[in-house]
Amino acid sequence: MIEMIIINGAVMGGVISILATGFSLVFGVAKILNLAYTAFYMVASFLLYIMIIMYKLPLSLSFVTSIIITAILAMASYKICLDRIKEHESAVLIITVALTILFQEILILFFSAINRTIPPLVGGSSEILGVAILNQQIFCVVVSIGIIAIIWLFLSKTKMGNAIMAVAEDREVANLMGINVSRMCMITVGISGVLAGLAAVVVAPLQMIQPYMWMYPLVSVLCAVILGGLGNIKGGIVGAYILGFTEACVVFLFPKFSFLRGAVSLSIMLIILLIRPEGLFGIIFEEERL
Amino acid sequence: MYLDVKNLNLFYDRAMVLDELSFHVNKGETVSIVGPNGAGKTSALRAIAGLVKWEQDILKGTVMGKITLTGSVLFKGEELLKLPAYKIAERKLILCPERGRPFRERTVLENLQAGAYMVKSKKVMQELLNAAYEIFPILKTRKNQVAGTLSGGERCMLAMARALQSQPELLLLDEPTVGLAPLVKEDLFACVKKIHAMGVTILLTEQDVSFAFELSERNYVLSRGKVVAEGTASQLISDDLVRKTYLGL
Ligand SMILES: Nc1ncnc2c1ncn2[C@@H]1O[C@H](COP(=O)(O)OP(=O)(O)OP(=O)(O)O)[C@@H](O)[C@H]1O
Ligand SMILES: [Mg+2]
Repeated sequence: MIEMIIINGAVMGGVISILATGFSLVFGVAKILNLAYTAFYMVASFLLYIMIIMYKLPLSLSFVTSIIITAILAMASYKICLDRIKEHESAVLIITVALTILFQEILILFFSAINRTIPPLVGGSSEILGVAILNQQIFCVVVSIGIIAIIWLFLSKTKMGNAIMAVAEDREVANLMGINVSRMCMITVGISGVLAGLAAVVVAPLQMIQPYMWMYPLVSVLCAVILGGLGNIKGGIVGAYILGFTEACVVFLFPKFSFLRGAVSLSIMLIILLIRPEGLFGIIFEEERL
Repeated sequence: MYLDVKNLNLFYDRAMVLDELSFHVNKGETVSIVGPNGAGKTSALRAIAGLVKWEQDILKGTVMGKITLTGSVLFKGEELLKLPAYKIAERKLILCPERGRPFRERTVLENLQAGAYMVKSKKVMQELLNAAYEIFPILKTRKNQVAGTLSGGERCMLAMARALQSQPELLLLDEPTVGLAPLVKEDLFACVKKIHAMGVTILLTEQDVSFAFELSERNYVLSRGKVVAEGTASQLISDDLVRKTYLGL
């Protein structure tokens, strides 16, 4: 039991943390609350289905291609739909919801709303401490932690990462250092697309692929990033794992009530926000500290 | 002429902020712009550094977006008004903004590294960093502290050090002394002198007239977006009208 909770919590937490990182990056740097973000993850999953099941392409080729296409799709929708209206926050919300529904309807048109699956990328299962665990689950946990580590290294150790973080904090001042702000936003959106594609690669074999699969992760991602402090990347990651383990607890301890897992995580978010309105890792500086 | 500002007009909606503003800076000089609150000092520097254009671009289409900027700003003969802000920084014209505006959630070191964004070589970056630590030793002891928790004076120094990381040829300092204790001001004074001695041309704005006059070779007095007087410190002080009306000395 406890092992199942740990492994499933880590899988859930891992996937959500990848998505939460992409979401927070775009929110922090490009200042866009992109509700279409998990739709990119859905599109990436469908791309995998198309390439692996329908066209029987080799796995690695399918992975790379779907990640690249997702990144291009993310950048194109940013450039075409969002870039020019991003000062209008409500317009951004409406457009991103519209984009999501557009993707959903297009997928329903071509694939209808039935559940599809793709086979595990790493087959079989292993025994750890006497418990049988799918290799795909282990793969998912390890790779998601690896991805987060790489992103973190990129942001904290490279020049471009530092510039991206500078833009996230003060776009105007970043200009004064010779940083091309709109280019950094574009790069960030591209990275977020790659992350959505990676999340799909990692978790698609464990999930049903269907045209509504953006909805549940979106709630979780919003929950995680608000829990951690909106725009704070570290907070989003921690929030994602808190959520993953909570939901795994609900599902395995009270199997009858597993349909309530979303409600439970939302309640946790509410409670934390009541105690700490800025989220777990949000920082409030005094406005003018002199 | 090194920096030549001619007939600069700036309107926010219908409010006139700069009114046919003209002045110039020669290479190697320290020039200051003094004037009361709301005279347009910050706006002038922001216009030169491209931030007004930036504001114009990002607010385009919103109710705040009616910003009109006309005139000409020539830097080494090149027109700056049409350039985006980051390209102006690439020309080595660097603005250290009002109140410094360090990245508050980033450490001192990360702030300085962001300043060195345009520097390609690791070695040069390290040299610049050492030079900054030499001028502002306090920053070295605080290098891993988050900038938001620095004191006001330390933040001013961080902002100046960060601007130096971009290897400025012309450094615009917007009210570097605002809110600082007299002793800290003296420190800062010495720092600005050092930066000037490194061969950087400096254009600064100040409300503290004596600070500005002591530091600079020439001064402009700004009021309501216009230059109302110019000259050396002694010329300005000996002019009774200017002294009483604008300088409050
Ligand atoms: N974004 C803006 N929108 C509308 N008005 C503005 C804007 N920015 C500046 N102003 C106006 O322009 C005038 C000049 O402002 P500016 O900040 O340039 O003055 P300043 O000389 O730097 O003053 P201080 O010494 O107080 O810093 C002010 O009256 C201000 O209200
Ligand atoms: Mg000012």
